[in-house]
Amino acid sequence: MINLIRSEVLKIRSTQVWFWMALLAAAFTALGTIGTVVEAVNAHDRGDVVDYYAVFTQSQGAGVALLVLGLLGLTTEFRHKTITPTLLATPNRWLLLAGKAASYAVFAIVYALICVLLNFAIAIIWLSAAGVPLDYGHGVPGGVLKAFLSLVLTGMFGLGLGALLRNQAAAMVFGIVYIFILDNVLNFVPWVRKGYAWTPGGGLKAFLSNGHIEGMPDDVHLLAPVAGGLLFLAWALALLAVGGRFSLSRDIS
Amino acid sequence: MTGPDRPAGHGANPADGRIVVDNLTKIFGDQRAVDSLSFTVEPGSVTGFLGPNGAGKTTTLRMLLGLVRPTSGSATINGMKYEALPRPLQTVGAALEAASFHPAHTGRQHLRIYCAAAGLPARRADEVLELVGLGQVSRKKTKGYSRGMRQRLGLAGTLLGDPKVLILDEPANGLDPEGIRWLRGFFRHLAGEGRTVLVSSHQLAEVQEVADRAVILNRGRLVRAGTLGELSAGTATTVVRGPALGPLQQALTDAGFGGTSEPDGALRIRTDQLAHVGHLAFTHNVELHELRLEEFDLERLFFSLTEGEHQGADLDPPGRGQRPGLPYQQQGGAR
Repeated sequence: MINLIRSEVLKIRSTQVWFWMALLAAAFTALGTIGTVVEAVNAHDRGDVVDYYAVFTQSQGAGVALLVLGLLGLTTEFRHKTITPTLLATPNRWLLLAGKAASYAVFAIVYALICVLLNFAIAIIWLSAAGVPLDYGHGVPGGVLKAFLSLVLTGMFGLGLGALLRNQAAAMVFGIVYIFILDNVLNFVPWVRKGYAWTPGGGLKAFLSNGHIEGMPDDVHLLAPVAGGLLFLAWALALLAVGGRFSLSRDIS
Repeated sequence: MTGPDRPAGHGANPADGRIVVDNLTKIFGDQRAVDSLSFTVEPGSVTGFLGPNGAGKTTTLRMLLGLVRPTSGSATINGMKYEALPRPLQTVGAALEAASFHPAHTGRQHLRIYCAAAGLPARRADEVLELVGLGQVSRKKTKGYSRGMRQRLGLAGTLLGDPKVLILDEPANGLDPEGIRWLRGFFRHLAGEGRTVLVSSHQLAEVQEVADRAVILNRGRLVRAGTLGELSAGTATTVVRGPALGPLQQALTDAGFGGTSEPDGALRIRTDQLAHVGHLAFTHNVELHELRLEEFDLERLFFSLTEGEHQGADLDPPGRGQRPGLPYQQQGGAR
């Protein structure tokens, strides 16, 4: 397994995709941090409660980059037909899938570390300059840990989606449409949104929340954070299992 | 590569290297791509796996390598399915298609990825790149590689684990004459090292030069398998040319010699008795411009074995562009 992870990490490292995704992750983290810090400064100036949880958990913004990296994990192999030499080196397809999942977890951890550092650096410098006192209570440590875990799970989720769809263009379009359109539609349309809590987006949103989420419709009741995290994990594992069973196990001809 | 750095797969057991295909069948929809195919590739032999495109060669090799699931039957290497081999790259080297590379990877990066997967030292990638003559372009991205360079890179990949068994699918495809010449030398090099080589090709003449055994496939079924000596037994052909061969043709028929009459007027007689044919020509007062024994030709054998069956328009026809001639009886006498 160690050899397989080394090989998969080398695959990711030997193209520029990891760099651009790191940049994307940093950009999303920075934008999210700046938005929440500005809100925090305004809240402090108004004498309102500062949402430190939101300020210090913006590393979750790297999720989009991890989703894309995960999506590319297998779809790139099919697109460039490298799946053939890959399976010649690792004939056990479940082992290959597990190795890829572990490799993306490694990248998720590295991305998460970078993004947490960036998040904290921007927030601490800006809040200090604005005279807002720093406070790491309010569930911040747990929130940072959950943001960390969410990135690992998002990479696995993307990998599973890629394993299922195999076609890179289809997987990318579906992933982007899901994040930016479908998730909002599921969260917005009456009746449909009653089931939102059980979708991957609903589970992830619940997991990353601090117990309450503003702006949700009254008839949408998200799960508790831990349950939401377990739901998102279940979605990721289910996609990997279904992708592995019905798509990756097909003939490579 | 010698000494302790040599990957352990090579030469670990002299009995290793046998490929056994047993009653292998693959059905795609309503098409039987491979139909009850059985053959054995003996250790240390270079075996040509021959047939026209669409004969089922690639599907068979992919089943052998665990990439395609057989409908029935089995294919094993060293008595095991490929998926069950403990160190697959150190046991079998396979090159199936010329374009299985990420275009943004260099040749060196491509090979190092599989070195890592197989637990081989990264320097092995450089060694095999030098071996196939790609050392100078090892740091160039594969998207800039020519077809021939891609073929060589694929072949380099087969050698990473220094395996005893090599499985190559149409390695000469797209190669220029220089590349084909290099490939022949490469085969001889592999054969000289005592490796088991199974090489599929629809370019039969290329394989004939290096193979000592052949498995001939057509429409997914085995047509013939054996050593080239076994396959060539009884295929000796005498070629006769002359301005008026009619009397000789009749004399040959009367004497029990079978054969064909070529469109260019030559007679091809299934015998190695040159003197007998020459004597018949003399006694029947037939002028000859050519009387020679034709060397064994795998292409011609293939066509004779699959005459009237194969639809292999892509298979290089024998005799440099000529299909086998018609039997005497159908031709209605030589011109």
